[in-house]
Amino acid sequence: MTAALRSFYDDFTRTFGNVLFAVCLLLAWGLMTLAGVIVDQGKDPAEYFSMYAPPLARLILRLGIDNIYHAPYYVGMIGLILLSLAVCTFKRVIPARLPALRPVAVERIPLNATIRVRGDEADVRSRVERFFTKRGWLVRKREFGGTEWTFADKYNWARRGVLVAHIGFTIIAAGTTVYWASGFSGETPVVVGQTIDVPHRRATLRLNDFKFKIQPIMTKSGMVYQPIDYVSYVTVTGADGIPHERTIRVNHPIDIGGSLFYQSSYGFALRFLVSHTGTRDAALSDKVYEVGESITLPGSGRQIQIDQFVPTVDRQTGTPSSDPRINNPAVALEAVQNGETAGAALVPIGTWIDVGDGWRITPVKYVMVSGLQYRYDPGVPLVGIGAFVLLAGLVISFYFLPARLYVRLRHAELSPGFTDVELAATTVKGYDIFETQFNELVAELQRTFNPPDEGPERLKFAEVT
Amino acid sequence: MQTAIGSGHMPLDEVLLVIAIGAYTIGALALIVYFFSREEWLAHLGIPLALAGCAAQFAQLAARFEITHVWPLLNLYGSLSLFSAVSVGIFIYFAFRYRLWFAGGFVLALAALFLAYGSTWNEGVMPPVPSLQSYWAKIHVPLVVSSYAAFMVAFVMAALFLVKYYFERGLEGNRFSVSRMMAVAGAENVRSTYDYQIAQMAMPDAGISSPAVVTKMDTPNIAQAAAQGNAAAAWMNAMPSLAQMDVLIYRIVAVGLPLLTLGIITGAMWAHESWGAYWQWDPKETAALFSWIVYAIYMHLHTRAQWRGVRSAWISLVGFLSIMFCYFGVNLWISGLHSYKV
Ligand code: HEM
Repeated sequence: MTAALRSFYDDFTRTFGNVLFAVCLLLAWGLMTLAGVIVDQGKDPAEYFSMYAPPLARLILRLGIDNIYHAPYYVGMIGLILLSLAVCTFKRVIPARLPALRPVAVERIPLNATIRVRGDEADVRSRVERFFTKRGWLVRKREFGGTEWTFADKYNWARRGVLVAHIGFTIIAAGTTVYWASGFSGETPVVVGQTIDVPHRRATLRLNDFKFKIQPIMTKSGMVYQPIDYVSYVTVTGADGIPHERTIRVNHPIDIGGSLFYQSSYGFALRFLVSHTGTRDAALSDKVYEVGESITLPGSGRQIQIDQFVPTVDRQTGTPSSDPRINNPAVALEAVQNGETAGAALVPIGTWIDVGDGWRITPVKYVMVSGLQYRYDPGVPLVGIGAFVLLAGLVISFYFLPARLYVRLRHAELSPGFTDVELAATTVKGYDIFETQFNELVAELQRTFNPPDEGPERLKFAEVT
Repeated sequence: MQTAIGSGHMPLDEVLLVIAIGAYTIGALALIVYFFSREEWLAHLGIPLALAGCAAQFAQLAARFEITHVWPLLNLYGSLSLFSAVSVGIFIYFAFRYRLWFAGGFVLALAALFLAYGSTWNEGVMPPVPSLQSYWAKIHVPLVVSSYAAFMVAFVMAALFLVKYYFERGLEGNRFSVSRMMAVAGAENVRSTYDYQIAQMAMPDAGISSPAVVTKMDTPNIAQAAAQGNAAAAWMNAMPSLAQMDVLIYRIVAVGLPLLTLGIITGAMWAHESWGAYWQWDPKETAALFSWIVYAIYMHLHTRAQWRGVRSAWISLVGFLSIMFCYFGVNLWISGLHSYKV
């Protein structure tokens, strides 16, 4: 049993610790994400049938692609990625060590060069050391079988960049989990004059007023009505009973006991005078109706549905204008009898319409509705920290390349008074990535140790080569 | 109050835009002909034009801001303008650092195209909608657009890589297998089969005249055909080695990915302030996440030697397609919180 468990554990860690397996998981995650971009999310099932062929629409609904980002398999995939990341981190990333300081066959390493320098070995060695130390390399010396080697390392610490990036990703995941576990959010429409209880908080919020500003702009392709500002003027009263006047604007939420309240949308509600054979129906007339609601006329089996608030009716044509500013408002009403539309009309505010059986409806005034969104998300700080840790990991991994130079000095046999500096470089990301820097380093060594203005020496050097 | 766009003579920003498009177009032509002909004077013409076009573009954005007092990056016109300016800027840096002017014509041509397309979205002066009235617009948009720009430069390099790679394969017949060679390129221990020696032969006396010269030769068939006078092979032979082009793509993606990450992070911070949630699964966000995943895949595969080269180049190509989808596809075809066209 333990052997079987052991072998299962080995298989599991081998698979989940494999970068290619991780890439497959990332790919699956990517494709699911893309599916959610292409297929509109959160629509009514009927809309998918109108957008796609029936078999495709059925597939979308059956596989939950209409709400893919909350589908168990999507969340599960992220879970698998985290699992793989953890296994990989503990199995490969953390245990990874740089190779020990050992002699190498310099000429067998693709990035290698030899520079002939005037001076004896000891002198050249100290100059080489100074050269690398000055440029931020960590220089260490070791002797092997009578030959002294110099090893220079740079950005050794940056091997941990991968670890940092992976930890960052994990912290983000942890932050989003905190929200799932203990956060909440929602949207609440508030009518001007209305007071609501702040969800999950011992506080109330009263909407005193709502204002919006829309600017007409003549563009090259015609008139555009550009929204400029939405503001809710509210009074917040907390557990201490002290009212505070606040304003909520887009991009400027307010904080109520840790929950943030955002300006998200606006709309209109309506007050009607509803009368039957000349008598005001108090119950129906005292209510504020939002667009989409209906007025049920008692005893008639008839409902008057409030289809739309039209801010501006064109005075010439009598039809709704595209101007969203309020200037000659009206309301589109629809009479529904036993589920069937019995008639529809655009009724200007302040005018009345007979809807049958002695009923008369007058839209008296419109009232602004502010769409407020609230959210309590204790995971935000974690997500923020994780994001910056992830970013730091990316920067470390991409811009600080851990590299090692192996330097061996040899007396130049054919050139008395000269020493050959043999140099090879390795990095944690192969050789090609370091080729340019290596060439530059060698060129700089060359310039420093054999300055071009030392004409005679170069000549001599050239002769012996 | 009704705001109308000015009429009569052309505003300064549009003049600068025309100058930029002109500089890029002529510069692109010069550098593309340089690419084929190796006539040095063409490079000397194309490089200043690239610099001038890029400078004109930044001046254009500044002028537009000055004239309109509206942050100029909030619609496709402005963001495409920044996109092409930054892509040329990033390219200029890499071109000076790694001698990439041979690819300049293609980058400039794309920049001119995107800029010209962007100018068709110029609807005049529009104050931003409330959600865009935030200092985050000044941080988030330039970061995201710059990441797209970096990916575009990487895309051009990847496309050139693939042209050279498949040209080499086309030439190889049964003589030599470049795919085998690229596979070998992965196995670090057999690297010495490469012709790195050129670097060392050049070194002892002559010094290294050009530290950025590319010394590895991994397209022997192209080199041979070039020596025999094949013109196409000659210009491909003048490009850096495949291995170095692979490194260049990696370096440019390594500019783009942190920028995209920071762009997504700042976008989330803005959304947290504006929409009430740092992540809404809005199509723009998810499309950017998809691109981010593609480049994360690129980076992971690039750590494996056998995945460097042609496979990585293909992935970076796919990455850029996904960026284009995120940039245009989502803005133009998919409605969501982020559909800012004009
Ligand atoms: C499925 C989960 C993941 C696993 C198993 C995994 C594994 C690895 C491994 C083993 C490496 C080092 C490869 C090497 O140098 O030999 C690596 C590199 C890296 N990983 Fe991950 N990774 C995962 C997900 C992620 C995610 C989600 C990110 C977020 C960006 C990420 C960012 C990085 C970075 C930046 C590098 C360094 C790449 C380079 O230096 O070129 N990884 N990963």
